[in-house]
Amino acid sequence: MRKILVLVLLALSPAAAAAAENPILVSLRATAHQENAAFKDFSAARGQAFYNARSGDVACATCHTASPKAPGKHATTGKEILPLAPSANPERFTDAAQVDKWFKRNCTEVLKRPCTAQEKGDFMTYVLSVQ
Amino acid sequence: MKPVLVWDAPTRLFHWLFASCVAAAWLSQDTDRWLSVHVFFGYLMLGLIGFRLIWGVVGGHYARFASFRYGPLAGLAYLRQMASGTAARHVGHNPAGSQAVYLLLALGVVTCISGILTMGTEEGQGLAARWVSIGASGVFKETHRLCAWLMLLLVIGHLAGVAIESWLHRENLPRSMVTGAKDAERGTIASHPHIRVGAMLAVAVAAFGAWWFFYAVEEHIEARLGVDDGDKGVPHVAFVGRALPDDPLWREECGACHTPFHPSLLPARSWRQLIDEQDQHFGIDLGLAPPVRQSLLAFMTANAAEQGSTEAAYRINQSLAPDAVPRRITETPYWKEKHARIGDSGWRSPKVGSRTNCVACHQDALAGTFEDAAMVIPR
Repeated sequence: MRKILVLVLLALSPAAAAAAENPILVSLRATAHQENAAFKDFSAARGQAFYNARSGDVACATCHTASPKAPGKHATTGKEILPLAPSANPERFTDAAQVDKWFKRNCTEVLKRPCTAQEKGDFMTYVLSVQ
Repeated sequence: MKPVLVWDAPTRLFHWLFASCVAAAWLSQDTDRWLSVHVFFGYLMLGLIGFRLIWGVVGGHYARFASFRYGPLAGLAYLRQMASGTAARHVGHNPAGSQAVYLLLALGVVTCISGILTMGTEEGQGLAARWVSIGASGVFKETHRLCAWLMLLLVIGHLAGVAIESWLHRENLPRSMVTGAKDAERGTIASHPHIRVGAMLAVAVAAFGAWWFFYAVEEHIEARLGVDDGDKGVPHVAFVGRALPDDPLWREECGACHTPFHPSLLPARSWRQLIDEQDQHFGIDLGLAPPVRQSLLAFMTANAAEQGSTEAAYRINQSLAPDAVPRRITETPYWKEKHARIGDSGWRSPKVGSRTNCVACHQDALAGTFEDAAMVIPR
């Protein structure tokens, strides 16, 4: 009986630790290490600067508004965009394919190039930290 | 001479209800705005005519067709006599009036049925929903229009006849149609009043009216007046036709950045081109994975404008040159024609903002049906 309990606890502990951090962020960290040997860790402050930085006329904040917690609006079509921050919209950053699709589409649109893993990780760290 | 009951209660009630239906249907002919009202009076008229045809066989003496079995020639002869002031007084329908009765009943039937067919083909609604393809709607609509005009002319003729007769024979014919009584020689047959049948007719009409009001009119009117009855976010769409095919992937992928424009609004060739050019979709690389592209394309081509699943789909497709491959719905001639009267200030108004914001006026835009009656210009 005690043996089983120990086994269950052992099985649960890594899962519990992983639940603390977003799995998409975990995999981005691994990619960032591969892309850049000097990479240390993601930073919410860098992410916030990236979120607001304009490239040409546009920034992430153009459509998503200055606050990731607020609902946004598509700059061209006016279509409503649900809040980015999981504190306001728990569905955000739960589906890796969705996250991938939107980073790909929006980075190309705003920066005219794909984002690096570090930029994505910084961005996510910032948005996840917004309470 | 003493007053005799000529027009029994059901005949009088029929007369005034039928007259009201004709007037109301004419006044509500702008069906983009008042379809639910117009259609109500149409159905009511058809029901009343059905009643009158039965009543013409089993009703009171003067209501029976047998009591005014005159041919068109007799009617014309009577008109000539009226012109020369020699027309004999009839207690019941005179020969000319009889023609008006027969013609109005016949035209009423054709008008109502062609209206039902127009609505069934163009809007995919009502008793004849989708009996015939939209392509045939022109015939029905023209018939409907022509018969409605003929009815109006007949009504004018009837009113003139009533006025002349009233003057010629020094009697108030409209009042007789209210009280039912006319002065007549001793021994003239009197009609049975048939009050109970009249009451039943009144109850039936009132019940149908009440049901229709809650079915289609109340919220239609509220939407027009901008009355908020607490159903915010659930736009009421009067007269919703058959639901169009839907697809969650299409709705999600296309609806993320803009209104998900239903595939029925562009031809299949346009959708093929849009998917081919998905890496430069109005300046944006959508980055759609090949299976997603395939799945979207399958749904969109299967339900494209060529299918004619709605009036908008049919007309957009008809308006396109065979080799035209529009990238935008707003490039299609039909769309342009239908939106020509909206000025720049209209498009820029805060409640609209963009030509892609179909939902601003078309309450059913997300369903893709674009019903006439679901179009409400925001104030």
